[in-house]
Amino acid sequence: MISPEDMEAELRALGEALDTPAPPPADVARAVRARLERPEQESPAERRRARPRWRWLAAGTAVLVAVLLGLTPQGQAAVAHILRLAGVEIHVGEPGPLPSGAPSPLPDEKRVTLDQARRMVRFPVQVPAMLGEPQDVRVSDGGRVVSLFWPGVRLDTYDGLLTVVWRKDLGEPWPEEVTVGSAPGWWIAGPHGLTYLPRSGGTQEPVERRAGPTLVWQQGQAGHRLEGVPSRDRAVKIAESMR
Amino acid sequence: MLVARYSAVAHRTAALLGAGEETEDVVQEAFVKAFRHLRTFRREAAFRPWLLRIVANETHTITRSRGRRADLVLKAGAEPDLRVPDDPEDVAIATDRRAKLLSAVRALPEREREAVVCRYFLQLSESETAEVLGCPLGSVKSRTFRGLARLRKEVGGDLS
Repeated sequence: MISPEDMEAELRALGEALDTPAPPPADVARAVRARLERPEQESPAERRRARPRWRWLAAGTAVLVAVLLGLTPQGQAAVAHILRLAGVEIHVGEPGPLPSGAPSPLPDEKRVTLDQARRMVRFPVQVPAMLGEPQDVRVSDGGRVVSLFWPGVRLDTYDGLLTVVWRKDLGEPWPEEVTVGSAPGWWIAGPHGLTYLPRSGGTQEPVERRAGPTLVWQQGQAGHRLEGVPSRDRAVKIAESMR
Repeated sequence: MLVARYSAVAHRTAALLGAGEETEDVVQEAFVKAFRHLRTFRREAAFRPWLLRIVANETHTITRSRGRRADLVLKAGAEPDLRVPDDPEDVAIATDRRAKLLSAVRALPEREREAVVCRYFLQLSESETAEVLGCPLGSVKSRTFRGLARLRKEVGGDLS
């Protein structure tokens, strides 16, 4: 049989022989500009954004140029380490004081039934068999997050592939790497600062609160965070019982 | 400028990941999303895989919404040029073999196919592939390995 190396070389040669025509970049740029200028139909939050598109586009391009040229200190965060997984950015370093007071709801939070939630979002909403039917179900931020509640336990499922949805600030110990089913995840054992970063970016204030022990993992298109289960092993078992 | 620089690779990625006739739509939407989400882009990350990941996600969304599995590569009318011009003696055999290999790649399970397409057709590194497909490096390795093994079994012995 053919060796793996030859197979690889053959695949590369085949790839080079595959012609994938693309329209002239100028046409693409024009079409993209037209889409950016078109009024958005995505979410109420984004529709509220009042600034003219072209200005945003210009600003965006400028930012990108600056980023590519290395002109901004973006990314040179003051914290020691940043971990990213499943739409969650974990800053490990010297966290400030934990947020206190009553947590405010996520943007545009609505109380719904499980079936309604499933119709309102684009990702699958699963329920851990070990916990049974949730007592409360909320959908927030135009269908970006679904939160299920049991006494003392909260499970957020969210569209977590493209953007950072949550930020967590914590000190030592480091989050622990775990495996949920076959998916990678993190276990954060202690209380930490949790910030929800709204989809609309600058137009809405991030929502900050104190979070308890949390398991974070990704499954398919959706990110998950399970909060309030004190034992790591039990949290992983609950996560693995999602149906 | 951004579009000019990445348009070709974005089209190629969408087409090879199975966007079919919707390739242009996928690419335009991906650029729109890239502009809208620029603030989440970090300098320490490379821009190309970040953009290609959006392209891959859009391709997923569109193939799901049309209710069928992504068709690898090219629809009728855009069949690839599989001839091997430098090798006139064996043109027929080599062309046949490439066509066979291409259909074997098409028939791979989705995850293995995506990994093989990224690694060999798009010639991305393992870590770029992991970022584009949104999976851990280990999964890229194992999916590529399994895909290669399957392809060797399918077409490996034909010419020896």
